[in-house]
Amino acid sequence: MTDATHNLSSPPNTGTRTYRLPIWSDANWIVRIALLIGLILIVTALAAPWVAPFDPNAQSLISRLRPPIGFERYKEGFYFGTDELGRDIFSRCIYGLRLTFALALAGAVIGLLIGGTLGLMAGIIGGVFEEVIMGLVDAQIAIPFTLIALLILAVMGSSLDVMILVLGVYGWEQYTRIVRGEVKKLIQMPFVEAARAAGATPLRIAVRHILPNVVSPIVVQFTLNFSNIVILESTLSFLGLGVQPPTATLGSMVGIGRDYLPTAPWIVLAPAMVILLLTFAVQILGDWLRDKADVRLRSR
Amino acid sequence: MLTYVLRTLLRMAITLFLIVTLVFFATRLSGNPVDFVLGEGITKEDRALLIAYYGLDSSIGTQYWRYLSSVFSGEFGLSFLERRPVSEIVLERAWPSLKLLLSAVCFTLIVSIPLGILAAIYRTSIIGSVVMVIAFLGYAVPSFIIGILLVLIFAYTLNWLPVIGDGTALHFIMPTLAISGTLVAAITRFTRNAMLDVLSQDYMRTARAKGLPEWVVILKHGLRNASITLLSVVGLQIASLAAAGSVVVESIFAWPGIGDLLVRSAILRDYPVLQFGVLSVAVAVIVINAVVDIAYAFADPRIRLAKG
Amino acid sequence: MTKLLATTALASLMATSAFATELTVGAANVSSYLDPGRDHSNVGSQFYYNAFDTLIAKNHDTTDTEWQPGLATEWKLVEPTIMELKLREGVKFHNGADMTADDVVFSLNRMYQADFPPYQVRARDRLENFAKAEKVDDLTVRIHAKRPEPLWETLLNLQQVMIIPEAYTKSLAGDPDKLEHDDFEAFSLKPVGTGPYKVAEFVPGETVVWERFDDFWGEKAPLDKVTVRHMPETASRITALKTGEADIVTNIAPDQLQLIENDPNMKAAGSATALFHVMIMNVNHPKLKDARIRQALSLAIDRDTLNEALWGGKAVVPSTHTLAEFGELYQPELTTFEYNPEKARELLKEAGYDGFEITYDTAPGYYTNGLLAAQAIMEMWAEVGIKGKVNVQDKWSGNSPDMMTRNWSNPMYFADPFGSFGVMWAPNGPSESEGRFNTDEDYAKSWEQFRFNGDVELRRAAYAELMERIKQDPPVLPLYRPYESWAMKTNVNWAPKPGHIPYVLDFRAGSISFN
Repeated sequence: MTDATHNLSSPPNTGTRTYRLPIWSDANWIVRIALLIGLILIVTALAAPWVAPFDPNAQSLISRLRPPIGFERYKEGFYFGTDELGRDIFSRCIYGLRLTFALALAGAVIGLLIGGTLGLMAGIIGGVFEEVIMGLVDAQIAIPFTLIALLILAVMGSSLDVMILVLGVYGWEQYTRIVRGEVKKLIQMPFVEAARAAGATPLRIAVRHILPNVVSPIVVQFTLNFSNIVILESTLSFLGLGVQPPTATLGSMVGIGRDYLPTAPWIVLAPAMVILLLTFAVQILGDWLRDKADVRLRSR
Repeated sequence: MLTYVLRTLLRMAITLFLIVTLVFFATRLSGNPVDFVLGEGITKEDRALLIAYYGLDSSIGTQYWRYLSSVFSGEFGLSFLERRPVSEIVLERAWPSLKLLLSAVCFTLIVSIPLGILAAIYRTSIIGSVVMVIAFLGYAVPSFIIGILLVLIFAYTLNWLPVIGDGTALHFIMPTLAISGTLVAAITRFTRNAMLDVLSQDYMRTARAKGLPEWVVILKHGLRNASITLLSVVGLQIASLAAAGSVVVESIFAWPGIGDLLVRSAILRDYPVLQFGVLSVAVAVIVINAVVDIAYAFADPRIRLAKG
Repeated sequence: MTKLLATTALASLMATSAFATELTVGAANVSSYLDPGRDHSNVGSQFYYNAFDTLIAKNHDTTDTEWQPGLATEWKLVEPTIMELKLREGVKFHNGADMTADDVVFSLNRMYQADFPPYQVRARDRLENFAKAEKVDDLTVRIHAKRPEPLWETLLNLQQVMIIPEAYTKSLAGDPDKLEHDDFEAFSLKPVGTGPYKVAEFVPGETVVWERFDDFWGEKAPLDKVTVRHMPETASRITALKTGEADIVTNIAPDQLQLIENDPNMKAAGSATALFHVMIMNVNHPKLKDARIRQALSLAIDRDTLNEALWGGKAVVPSTHTLAEFGELYQPELTTFEYNPEKARELLKEAGYDGFEITYDTAPGYYTNGLLAAQAIMEMWAEVGIKGKVNVQDKWSGNSPDMMTRNWSNPMYFADPFGSFGVMWAPNGPSESEGRFNTDEDYAKSWEQFRFNGDVELRRAAYAELMERIKQDPPVLPLYRPYESWAMKTNVNWAPKPGHIPYVLDFRAGSISFN
């Protein structure tokens, strides 16, 4: 099942195009904004220790629930206000962004590696092995992921490593499906036969022929997964299963802070805005990259 | 075609078996229900008593065997918490969830398809961008935040809508909006892309030349081509929506649904409920997927022949 | 919208007159079963008082202990270990059956001589001293204790010995003439008692509906119908008050009180619950064997600041494990626990604390402010040099040898120190049995004295000894009596009564009125 080639970021297809390097001027204004935002977020996350004004875990029981700048009872220096333990929300957003980035990236990459490899193997080896793998894929799809996450966290405890494992397990089945589908398609093609006859190893076939064709849908899936993982993490925190306090991720700040939405909304709104920006950048850039990859493909 | 159907059924069976086994062992390994609900502040002897009473003292192998046989005989046991048949508990909860799901799907289709078409036609103007922004927000904001914000605006401040349970039609409005966020985003985007594809095709020019009004062409050709894929996209999304997004929405609106039941049973290790619940949801999802797969294969000759 | 407004207007109009007496309660937690015998949870205690009675009743309008006739009209000790009670005539169960001595004997013996594990578990910690109940005639019963019991009335006023019907229970499952475990299981889904309300509907975990029972032996219930609905999310519970979907809601955290106070349509009522949020420590954990470290863990916690910051000062910080409700046995003069960070640092140095991590387990949402307090405590520990780490999990780790510290609650199950400290910290009681608390001969001796001596002064002295013991070798630190609040519409006059065990939703006569 293919997704159409058009999206917000690229001009409409006017027929064949010549391939050009993706440079700044090639992108429309939305993509430029996304690039900028993405850059700011990454730099902020990387430079967290220098950018954040306070220690994100430093509590101050006497300065709980202070509003952000411009409101009554604002505490000097705490731009986004303080949370339920008096911690600086601005600093927590920065460090939270950092951890969210790390977790989502790790999770998405792991999912990609697991799923991609399994899909490749399933497509090439086939037979019972393939049926079992696809059975697992269906199993994963059939059980609500929240539950799977819950069970893994329950069995293995809620440390950061387990969180990464859980997030890594999220979405692998999508990659497996994509890659396997592609493999099955290509395996029929004559040039693969020819390559095999010429003595090319399966690995070489995989890299030279299969990989370029799966890059596009995988990139899209990756960006989709990345954003989904951020939201998933928030949902797990809502259920009390996220990262252990006092550690903050954007998702956990939103999940745990929801009780304060009527009384101290900044606790949720600040990290939610950052999630929005992050998701926006990831989605736009993902679409754009996919577009570029598609173009590359078409021009070969 | 027959082989394809049979293969699908075989795959379904394997999947179900895997699910049942995995859930069984995962829950057993993760702790004893006695420690989650009943256990605080009792002596060691009493804890042992309770464990024996609930049949948790036999070896894991025996328990597994007992469980498998009960599945085949159709008897799924009693919940640890509620001491009534798990089938009763799960089915009681399944119906409200189904209603909410249906409501979400209908809402999404009614709203997203026109929005997608709009976004495609007006893609260069502000309207197109606005539509895509709305769709994006539905996706990027966690469903429980949408839910709570809706509650605070429409119930708390304006007092227009009720917040608890599924009593009347009015009760469906906010939960449906909250749960449909990702679905609306996905379908709107999909429709837009499909439409863009159609709009750029040659047969559009032909049709226009023939003098057919624009909208007829769009609807006739665009929707028809897209509908098959739409079917499978919707099918997949429903599957993931079935209990994933719903648990938080169910909590906020005190909706007596199955998502909340499953999560609660998992957290409290109410094995019988969890096992039966997961099995039911899995069966439902697998059936939907299989139906979609078969319909898709039927409709698309390429796949039918390839898999034949 | 106009229709909704009109309905609400009409509803509030009706509420102000005498005849509209239906109430909806939004509860954060609803029980999965309703059997007073097997239950001692904070969730369950909300639900039994309206539908069940005990032999001996109590005046709940005061914290003083005032016994009143309940299902028994008089009682006297005929021998040091035998209490004889005369039963009230004309009492009916909700199913229409008359209450007789058989039902009383049945209800009591199912606990005193329990062989049904859920009952055995509950009976063990507080009903050990009772051997049996026997019928003397249709309106007289005798209860035999194993040794002289200083707390007869208290222990006959317990939720666990509320009276249930024998014939009805037996008829629920299997053979209607035989008593089977399945009967008890079925009872917990369809309970029947003698109280002013009958349980008209019960959906486990979701809904409890009480309807006025017209044949109640005492003062008639003020409300026709009360519906308790499960509303887990805080924002939704409070919103339900505004939309009119609830009249009273439970479990409002202190941080939400401002919102309620500022709204002219809502108000809050609360009290410092007869319960302690405590921190428990595993005395047998290899790293915590040195009592000085545990003393330091306790001394480092500034409970008054926790109170100010998290509870607006409304919680009550105790100096020892005692509650005002104990009356003569209330011992606030004892100083078992205090805040002394200097001393904590000294003790840590003496004990050679090398900076190893100390974990603090907590469930995510079970105790109001539980997670917040846990995090704040980690900070307080850090200030004296203790490296602490919060570990959030739903599992009860109290029985795990790896548990180092965690939070818990010690409710007042009945108004006597035995009913609070006593239930949890007895020799071979739950705490010792879980492997995190040790007692010895001296402790057991003081215990005997405290539990069974009839002389108040001697009991107080013994209790003081026990408190000194847990000061020297700490297994527990009571943090505070949490201030729990309920929110309600302004026209509802209801508040938790001072004489109850924690969290009871009391809707009997005299508990509620409307403006």
